[in-house]
Amino acid sequence: MRSGRQHNAWWYLAFPLTIVVLFTALPSIAGVALSFFEWSGGGSPRFVGLENYRALFAAGPFWPALRNTLLFALITVPITTGGAFLAAAALNAEWFCGRTLVRTILFVPTIISIVAIGFIWRWVLDPSPGGLLNTALASLGVDRGALPDWLGRSPWALATIILVSIWRGLGFAVVLYLAALGGVSRSLYDAAAVDGATPWQTLRHITWPSVRPMTFFLLITGMIGALQVFDIVLVMIGTSAQGWADVLNLYLYREFTLNRLGYASTIGVVILILTIFITALQWRAMAGRAEAST
Amino acid sequence: MIERRIILQPSPLMRWSIHVVLYALALTMLVPFAWMISTSLKTRGEAINPSPTLLPSGWPWEWQWGNYSQAWETASLGRYYLNSLLVAAVVTALAGVHNALAGYALSKMRFAGRRAAFTLLLLVMMLPAQVSFIFAYVICGWLGYVDNYQALIVPFLASAFGIFYMRQATSTVPDDLLDAGRIDGFTDFEIFLHLIVPSIRPALAALAIFTFIGSWNAFFWPLIVIDSNDLATLPLAVAALSSQYYTDSWPVQMAAATIITLPLIVVFLIFQRAFVEGITLTGIKA
Repeated sequence: MRSGRQHNAWWYLAFPLTIVVLFTALPSIAGVALSFFEWSGGGSPRFVGLENYRALFAAGPFWPALRNTLLFALITVPITTGGAFLAAAALNAEWFCGRTLVRTILFVPTIISIVAIGFIWRWVLDPSPGGLLNTALASLGVDRGALPDWLGRSPWALATIILVSIWRGLGFAVVLYLAALGGVSRSLYDAAAVDGATPWQTLRHITWPSVRPMTFFLLITGMIGALQVFDIVLVMIGTSAQGWADVLNLYLYREFTLNRLGYASTIGVVILILTIFITALQWRAMAGRAEAST
Repeated sequence: MIERRIILQPSPLMRWSIHVVLYALALTMLVPFAWMISTSLKTRGEAINPSPTLLPSGWPWEWQWGNYSQAWETASLGRYYLNSLLVAAVVTALAGVHNALAGYALSKMRFAGRRAAFTLLLLVMMLPAQVSFIFAYVICGWLGYVDNYQALIVPFLASAFGIFYMRQATSTVPDDLLDAGRIDGFTDFEIFLHLIVPSIRPALAALAIFTFIGSWNAFFWPLIVIDSNDLATLPLAVAALSSQYYTDSWPVQMAAATIITLPLIVVFLIFQRAFVEGITLTGIKA
């Protein structure tokens, strides 16, 4: 009987696990190994040791791409998370009118194809007379000539990418926070009310600590995602976003399309190491704080 | 003596300002889409008019509905629509079955290697795709999948996240129910079909929606594995449209953007509750 069941379990697991192993687990291991080789995809890979890493750190595009990726992640994720917390706390209040409506609207950008998002924003930000943002600003009295090319060769490009990413990611975090807020016990608030806590104190000392696991989850997964930022830059600026808005993953993609698979893998490994490092850092910070508060 | 007042509620002015801020935020989410639809119905001249209007000029029947047929025909979006739909439907249906079966096995069956399998899934979930996609591409090449439908489908027939999610969902089904099923003479598969599936329907629906939207919107992987025009999915085709026309024809581009966006918004509005509930489940379990 028992052995029959054992047989069954693997019967159900075999195919799904094969897919996961074949297309994710194995390629990840192989990808790390590949970073020590030179390979164009055909023929046999040539072992080059740390040469790819040496070349990468000496390459012109690497440092700006690294800087932009880190800036992107370190700005986008905390603002999205913090903003979503405040928005969710307000939406969760009994006195808020139209919670479902606002929640639904905030969520819409999350489900839209990134290609469409890129199209729409490029058009809104277009410097031509039809561009919505510049026209709106001009009608408020801002000198059109003084307005930057939002996606051009200036630090504005990265700032714009960050803003659009926050715009896109906010609704998802709001929905998750609302779920977490639904689980916070009413009695905590009643106790705070009896103690005469102000709304701000309640938010700071009751609501915020109560949803810490969610904040933790959003920061960790947000960082993992943000360090891989790619498609939003590609659709809004293109592959040649060099310098001002180039990011590691875009650099990786360019190298990949040149069939420099070993070198591209090296960039992937750098992203992986950054991910592990930042996740570990957050983990320690959050665990430390949880201990301090108990 | 501490003054004991109940002032948990913000002042009316505060409440009013919070409403204004959040509704303004919601408006910023809607304006770009409204602008997309509006531009898609304008003439080129109107689109680049220095003092643009929200509505296209004239009556609705005079608007530039032709932009849609132009976008549809010049980019042959019909073909790509079918590609996207086919891929997303097959992936959603099959991945749903595979993930649910694997999740069921992990949560409700005892067997050697269960722990190892679960640990493997958790590890895989944390890996950034950037390290794996290069060699996944190579493997697809070896299997002859590159530039074939298989490349868009086979790697997605199961996922670490999907299996994990289904494991969490199936583990909430009470063991008593399954034992009752066994006493009734159900096989493991019959238990899955008649007891597990009905109990986890909301989670299954949520996973199906995630999978469908993920597949429909997928951009990075199709960009890499698909070269032939015939096999392009909608996002690829629309992205290509912008390089063909560039800024020249914003209305046609916006019509194309509307064409790929609208079905998702409609699907989302219909399934909103399942969607939000599904995300909620994921979040809490994660």
